[in-house]
Amino acid sequence: MKSLAELDKLREKLRQEMNVREKDHDVTVTVSMGTCGIAAGAREIVKALLEEMKEQGLSRVALTQTSCAGLCQHEPLVEVNRGNEKITYINVDRDKAREIVKKHLVAGQVIKEWTTPERS
Amino acid sequence: MEDLSQHILDIAFNSLEAGATDLTITVREDTVANILAFGVLDNGRGITQNDIPKITDPFFTTKKHKRVGLGVPLLQEAVQRCGGNLEIKALPRKGTSVTAVFPHDHLDRAPLGDITGTLIALITGRQPVNLTYRHKYNNRNFLFNTRKLCIHLGAIPLQTPEVLVWLQNYLDENIANLRRETNEELGRTG
Repeated sequence: MKSLAELDKLREKLRQEMNVREKDHDVTVTVSMGTCGIAAGAREIVKALLEEMKEQGLSRVALTQTSCAGLCQHEPLVEVNRGNEKITYINVDRDKAREIVKKHLVAGQVIKEWTTPERS
Repeated sequence: MEDLSQHILDIAFNSLEAGATDLTITVREDTVANILAFGVLDNGRGITQNDIPKITDPFFTTKKHKRVGLGVPLLQEAVQRCGGNLEIKALPRKGTSVTAVFPHDHLDRAPLGDITGTLIALITGRQPVNLTYRHKYNNRNFLFNTRKLCIHLGAIPLQTPEVLVWLQNYLDENIANLRRETNEELGRTG
């Protein structure tokens, strides 16, 4: 009995630690990975974000994906969530993805000109 | 879509959206039999028999927030362009299998492309999935499984950027090695 109780305790402790770890991500970066996003190059964006996050040593950032966000013409889309703030970057390429990590995630500066369509 | 691995990512992402926790991706290249085939197998919520004929219709989708579903129709187009074959099956218990077969040497067959990028993109994200990747090139095999890697990593999450960048290099190297011809195969004797 003792060992089972110990096991339960241990499991509970590990679960709580995992919850803490999940909450530890104060910033979430989401890449749209619907058919439209993939065709527009979302996969390259994930790779570029990962590489730059590694370069910058970011451990408190969660990188995740979502499906089509309904803005297919602006793909690839990268959304940065920090607390209640939500910023969506449109038409992201590899270079922009790296800049988003450096400027937005590391320095905390939103790159406003990449959040709205360019005027032609 | 520029390459087949983008189609694989698209189909496999459907699996994740269907709640799959197990995902098996296979690529089989047989240059003698002139076949390049890929398969995506999942344990997601599956597809009904009624929906299977509809899935190649670009205006059919089960998703509520949109009116088109282009993933499978685009894949079908890529298959038909070079006289290949696409098969979508509901698995007996739960899940779906998608298999696409192409003539390896057909000029209109899209290249396989960045399969590593596809695998990395699937592993990234917080939805835990046990991903198995099997790649057979003629008589050579490469097998990769996230569960084994996680055991190896212990407490370190697979999603850590450093781990994923390492994994990218590992997969790239192993998949490239499949196609590397040995001196014997080139007919050199030394």
